[in-house]
Amino acid sequence: MAPSVFRSPVQLPPAEALELSKQAPAILRSSANTASTSAIGAIFSAPEKPEEWITYENLILSSLRTGDDKAANQCLARLVARFGENNERVMALRGLIKEAEAQNDGELEKILKEYDQILSENDTNIPIAKRRVALLRSMGRLSDAASTLVQLLDFSPTDAEAWSELSDLYLAQGLYPQAIYAEEEVLVLAPNAWNVHARLGELQYMAATASGADGGSYQKHLAEALKRFSRSIELCDDYLRGYYGLKLVTGTILKDSGKPAKLTDEGDFVLPDTKTIERLNELATAKLAEIVRHSTAQDRGWRGYSAAEVAAARELLSEDSSSGIVR
Amino acid sequence: MTFISKAITAVGGILLAHACYSAQEHSALQSFRATSGAALTSAPTTAVSLPLDIVLETIVSTFIILLGLVLVTRPLRPIQWREWAGKIEREGEEGFKDSNGEVNKDYIGNPFAIFESRPNFVDIRKQRKEFAQWVKKEGGQKAQ
Repeated sequence: MAPSVFRSPVQLPPAEALELSKQAPAILRSSANTASTSAIGAIFSAPEKPEEWITYENLILSSLRTGDDKAANQCLARLVARFGENNERVMALRGLIKEAEAQNDGELEKILKEYDQILSENDTNIPIAKRRVALLRSMGRLSDAASTLVQLLDFSPTDAEAWSELSDLYLAQGLYPQAIYAEEEVLVLAPNAWNVHARLGELQYMAATASGADGGSYQKHLAEALKRFSRSIELCDDYLRGYYGLKLVTGTILKDSGKPAKLTDEGDFVLPDTKTIERLNELATAKLAEIVRHSTAQDRGWRGYSAAEVAAARELLSEDSSSGIVR
Repeated sequence: MTFISKAITAVGGILLAHACYSAQEHSALQSFRATSGAALTSAPTTAVSLPLDIVLETIVSTFIILLGLVLVTRPLRPIQWREWAGKIEREGEEGFKDSNGEVNKDYIGNPFAIFESRPNFVDIRKQRKEFAQWVKKEGGQKAQ
């Protein structure tokens, strides 16, 4: 089935993005270019629908990705005709198209200067500020991007998307504690987001298994990861990613349960006893097996999982059964 | 399932129509008897209520229609957070189709997925490169 044009195409696999961008000419043809700005025109023309503008925005993203710059420029022209040149979102989309069309670093520098120019006129232009961060990151200047983003968050601290990007930026630089802190801020803003809980669990697990983590912080990170994955499956039944993480973490804890547990500062989350962890591990294994079985058989009502995630879960399970749980 | 429920609703409808018709006939007959009877005998006219079978038929037919309508309704939407979230993860688009088989327009998948896709921070140059590589790979596979 064709992906919906109403949803953001950023995370679609390439095949679906191609399919989406192939729809662009048809959509551009079928909807007439009649964004009227005069009051009388607005009375006589058909009522405009907000979905139309979301469609154009998403089409710009997917056609830029597939290299169809012409369609992207046509979509942008329609958005400009409706919202004007100085709309902040339109400005950001124009910058996005320029970035995509840039051939070398010199042109990118020029775009960066343009962003600086726009921000010096109006430094609350958040879409452009975000584009600037993304461009810096794309040019490989990670620490610049992070410091710019921190400035943005200074005056807009409730932007969960920006906090999440900051966490990812820190992770790319290997700064685990900062990445975890930023991801926790996302959780403060969206406490029911089960995927953010799982993401934080993954970050904690990465921080624990990264080299250089000493005994105390190792235990602490693992305990936190356990807690986060448990919360994510509490918020979402049959969450593959949550159970996968839970199995991974409990497996790791059980594997080195021989080592003495160092209980550091008070107030930290202490690991539950081995029996509880074993039961959690069994639960995760059973659930993963169920999910893999149903989605391999393509049972009705179990087709929402992505094939790659199911394959990864199957691999984890087979690894487990071939080696046996090391206790 | 839909055929059965439609048939049940139709039977209920016929019964209800029959009950209405009977009630109408009954009252017409009563008024006729009252006018003609008053002329012949001097018995007092009493207001007669509907016979029991018509009343029962009305009530039963209403419940049969209700049964037919209830059978055809779609399963209720989950109202618990974790069930709803699990439905999104487990069934994807399939769980949110209306009766025409179209995916509900309001369905956006996991509403918190934007914290991981972050459309405002998209690195378009990287995406273009990845896409070009994917096209090359696909083209290579097709050529073989």
